[in-house]
Amino acid sequence: MKKSLIKTISKIALVLIPSISLSMTATAHDPSLHAKKAEKADCSKMDHSKMDMKDPVAIAMMNKCMKQADKSNNKMDHSKMDMKMDHSKMKTMDEKKQKKADDNNY
Amino acid sequence: MKMLKWLLILIVLGLGTTATIIYSGNVDVAADEPHSDLVHWLLETTRLNAISKAAENIKVPDLTDPELLLSGGVDYGFMCASCHLKPGQSESDMSLGLYPAPPNLAVSDYNDDSDEYGDDTQADRNNFWVIKHGIKASGMPAWGKTHDDQRIWAMVAFIKRLPSLTPEQYQILTAIE
Repeated sequence: MKKSLIKTISKIALVLIPSISLSMTATAHDPSLHAKKAEKADCSKMDHSKMDMKDPVAIAMMNKCMKQADKSNNKMDHSKMDMKMDHSKMKTMDEKKQKKADDNNY
Repeated sequence: MKMLKWLLILIVLGLGTTATIIYSGNVDVAADEPHSDLVHWLLETTRLNAISKAAENIKVPDLTDPELLLSGGVDYGFMCASCHLKPGQSESDMSLGLYPAPPNLAVSDYNDDSDEYGDDTQADRNNFWVIKHGIKASGMPAWGKTHDDQRIWAMVAFIKRLPSLTPEQYQILTAIE
């Protein structure tokens, strides 16, 4: 009886010890290194002044950012919008802010 | 007759030595233990010559189309960057753990090594062949089984420009639309 109990315990230990040590090493480093995130292009960092518009890399970046901007604009569902916006009560944007907003869109 | 006898002895000795090495179990196959200089040279020389010969007749298309960079960039980000790294990154779990170590394609030393590949066009051919067919016992898969030639050429076009990209440019080109 005692012998069979020892045998069972040693069998369990044989399975458990390697699996625990393996799982410990798997979590030993940052799991975020393995995470694949579907990132959107960060177009805010594009410096147009330093870009050569004949360079395929610059053209590709512009195309991507323009497509992304178009997509996010198209995502707005106008049919479901409440058309009761009262423009008369809205503050007008000053020229500086308007320019900044335009720059951010590109 | 005597010559033939010696030749036979040499062949038997050679076969015997090879069989002893194979069946002894004494060869260290661990990836964290590098090959000896001789074995490393043998394998590297064989690999470089085999790839160049296999790829020599491949016709390289125009790789300057910006759309190729977009398609190739997304594929590179998903399929290659974990081993072959990206701008601003010097190592990863895979680049440290694999042996032979995968080349860092984000630095110019690799792509500019014209001695290794002959010239720029040959480097493109070789990259296409390696991506399509993979390399035995190296960790490099044959992407041609699941990707058509057009997508592989797009990756070649992206790899060509990769060393000159900043981390910001890389992020935009490899991001999902």
